[in-house]
Amino acid sequence: MNTQTFVFPIGPQHPALKEPCHLEITVSGEIISDATIRLGYAHRGIEKATEGRNWTQNLYLLERVCGICSHSHAMTYALGVEALAGVTAPPRAQAIRTLVAEMERIHSHLLWLGVSAHEAGFDTLFMYSWRDREIIMHLLETVTGNRVNYSVNLLGGVKVDITDAMIRALHEGVDQLEARTTHYLEVVTSDAAFLQRTRGIGTMSSEQAFSLGVIGPVARASGLARDVRVDAPYAFYDEFPVQMVTEQTGDLEARFVVRLKELFESYRVIRELIDHLPAGELQARMPRRIKAGETISRIEAPRGELFYFIRSGGGETPERIKVRTPTLCNISSVLVTMMNQHLADIPMILVGVDPCFSCNDRAVAVNDGRWTWQQLRQYGIDYYRRKGDSC
Amino acid sequence: MLTLLAMLVFPGGLFLIANSVAYEWVDRKVVARLQNRIGPRWFQPFADLLKLLTKEEVIPEGAHVAVFIILPVIALASALTAALTLPVAGLSPVYSYPGDLIVTVYLLSLLTLCLSIAGTNTNSQYGVIGAMRILTQLFAYEAPFLLALLGPAFLTGSWQINEVVAAHGGQWLLFAQPIGFVIAVLSLMGKVELSPFDAPEAETEVVAGALTEYSGRGLALFLLGKKVVLLVGLLLIAALYMGGIANPLDYIVKTLLLLLIITVIQALLARLRIDQTVGVWWHYGVLGIFIQWLWLLVQGT
Amino acid sequence: MLRDIVGAMFQKPITEVYPFERVDVPPALRGKLLWTAEGCTGCMLCVKDCPADAIHLITLDKAAKRFVMEYHVDRCIYCGQCVQSCRFDCLTLQQDTWELAAESQSEFAVWYGAPEDVATVLGAAPAPDRGEA
Repeated sequence: MNTQTFVFPIGPQHPALKEPCHLEITVSGEIISDATIRLGYAHRGIEKATEGRNWTQNLYLLERVCGICSHSHAMTYALGVEALAGVTAPPRAQAIRTLVAEMERIHSHLLWLGVSAHEAGFDTLFMYSWRDREIIMHLLETVTGNRVNYSVNLLGGVKVDITDAMIRALHEGVDQLEARTTHYLEVVTSDAAFLQRTRGIGTMSSEQAFSLGVIGPVARASGLARDVRVDAPYAFYDEFPVQMVTEQTGDLEARFVVRLKELFESYRVIRELIDHLPAGELQARMPRRIKAGETISRIEAPRGELFYFIRSGGGETPERIKVRTPTLCNISSVLVTMMNQHLADIPMILVGVDPCFSCNDRAVAVNDGRWTWQQLRQYGIDYYRRKGDSC
Repeated sequence: MLTLLAMLVFPGGLFLIANSVAYEWVDRKVVARLQNRIGPRWFQPFADLLKLLTKEEVIPEGAHVAVFIILPVIALASALTAALTLPVAGLSPVYSYPGDLIVTVYLLSLLTLCLSIAGTNTNSQYGVIGAMRILTQLFAYEAPFLLALLGPAFLTGSWQINEVVAAHGGQWLLFAQPIGFVIAVLSLMGKVELSPFDAPEAETEVVAGALTEYSGRGLALFLLGKKVVLLVGLLLIAALYMGGIANPLDYIVKTLLLLLIITVIQALLARLRIDQTVGVWWHYGVLGIFIQWLWLLVQGT
Repeated sequence: MLRDIVGAMFQKPITEVYPFERVDVPPALRGKLLWTAEGCTGCMLCVKDCPADAIHLITLDKAAKRFVMEYHVDRCIYCGQCVQSCRFDCLTLQQDTWELAAESQSEFAVWYGAPEDVATVLGAAPAPDRGEA
């Protein structure tokens, strides 16, 4: 094979990408020697748009930041605004929020399984896993009324209630899904052709993962024990805790195994939740004007830690909402794990971090030209020292 | 006059095109059913072909225009010509002469070469990488393919397809030379770039490989050429390894059986990376065909 | 995997051939909005809270509680916030009307209210007080 180097573009339009980004990969022959990435193609100005809408309208706007993790965004926002207003949602509402969050995790991981199988050229597994995803989509429609963008959250609680018929349907669906997930775990760890595309590819050691700041299942696949549901439980996770699932190898196969094993945890939590739903009301009263203040709120979205910063000026509209999605943390790890891999592994490595580019496109204005890492870090430290301990 | 009709309509030309379109439908329908979905209706591949023929052909900047336009035509023509030496449905081949087995195989490879030249002719990196991969894969499967097809010919002592088929009567050589049969089928999958050997046109890596910049008529002719190569390959393997093709029913049954095997393998496996493809062929493919030929030589003496 | 594939050959495909086959919709489905004028006090909370600016409430006579609602089917995102915001149960999202495709945009502006009030709004030249957030 010749060793001429040239720059290979992936994106903005490319069949490997579900959303646009621009990767410039320097290859010699088929081996990658350098990579850069450019994001921002799906920027929609959502953060600015939130400043012109009232608190209730923003719930639905922020839900549409991403289609796959829409409930996570809405829940984080609702939890943050409730914290600002000093209101706690009633236990039944928190339980239903957790239930829908776990159902969303199932749908997201099954979607990811199909997409990554498709990137590997394994269309049969793609079709099968999406067929089984229909079970959870139907359950989501039964419980919430919609397959995507469920809109169950309200400021102060939820708007849907769980009936006995839904509980029966959930049990049945989760049983079916558990059988299928067991089968997929076996396929992913034993199918010879598929293993050739995943074992030993895109390996990231724990030290690398730590210094790159990856979060979510990618970090857990490299041995880092990071999960917001365990580290800082929110909603109903302190009543129904989740076991952290980690793997040590840090390659693509480990990421598959972590996500599939997380599905088993989700099934267990859902079963316990629906068998022990607390009685009570669904919504607490929320004022239309939220008290002035700042808060941060973070939860474990299917892709990792989702982080919101919400500032209120005391009025009916927020002053500033900053959204930091997990893909933004994980995407730089792709550039590092790609080094010295084959060109053909790029789509697999990219999909291994479960990218959601429409989530992560934000604009940041940096005032003083170019900052070094030390300057940025010092700025953060000084900022919080000035604020005191108010968040 | 009759020869001209045979070349252009039946059993050459139009018949081959119609048949390859029909088999494309069978392939897509069976893959869909294996994946638990419905699949396309019977006229879908024909409709796709027709649609492509009616679309505008965009010639990219920097490509050599004459080469760009002539390559698909040469590719399709070589694929159709390769079928002229094959006995189809009990009829004798249109053109049969000593050594036509080699010529047929090389005519099939001519399509692959046209594809790779087409890939390098464009200005896009996807085409160049696709072309590189096509040639790399050609080096992997071509030698085993040729040797596997020469297996039956060796026993007959002739390299003329017609004579090979006649010499074996209705005997199914795939039982006598199983390794050769398996290698022949798998290399046909490599030639037509079917999963798991579809690295050269991996949709998620190199968009469409060598064919990325093709559209409209050029793309239609290239895709048709690939389908005809699949059909010709099936005919070749059926003629040599499955006891010849005595009548139309025989023809349909044998080629459909081979197509079914190919379709199941296609749905079953993930795509192999190009270096893994080469590794598989040069470790197991060559070893297999080597053992097969050793056995043949021992048998022959 | 081979067992899956061979088994799938003998199963019916799971594709739902819409519109010839339809899966039953769940009771919680959020379909087209319906507004009844009885009980409406014109508080405008539904209009203020709509994220998509899909509802406009036109006040003909606030004391006599005569209102007309203009509902944009194409702008609505079917979130159900208006249903929650209304304290007088005037709004529901219908569970059976969800196939809302139309061939012209004029069908997407739906008017609710007493027929004479709607006629007044649609025919009247002077612009009434449009309740917009």
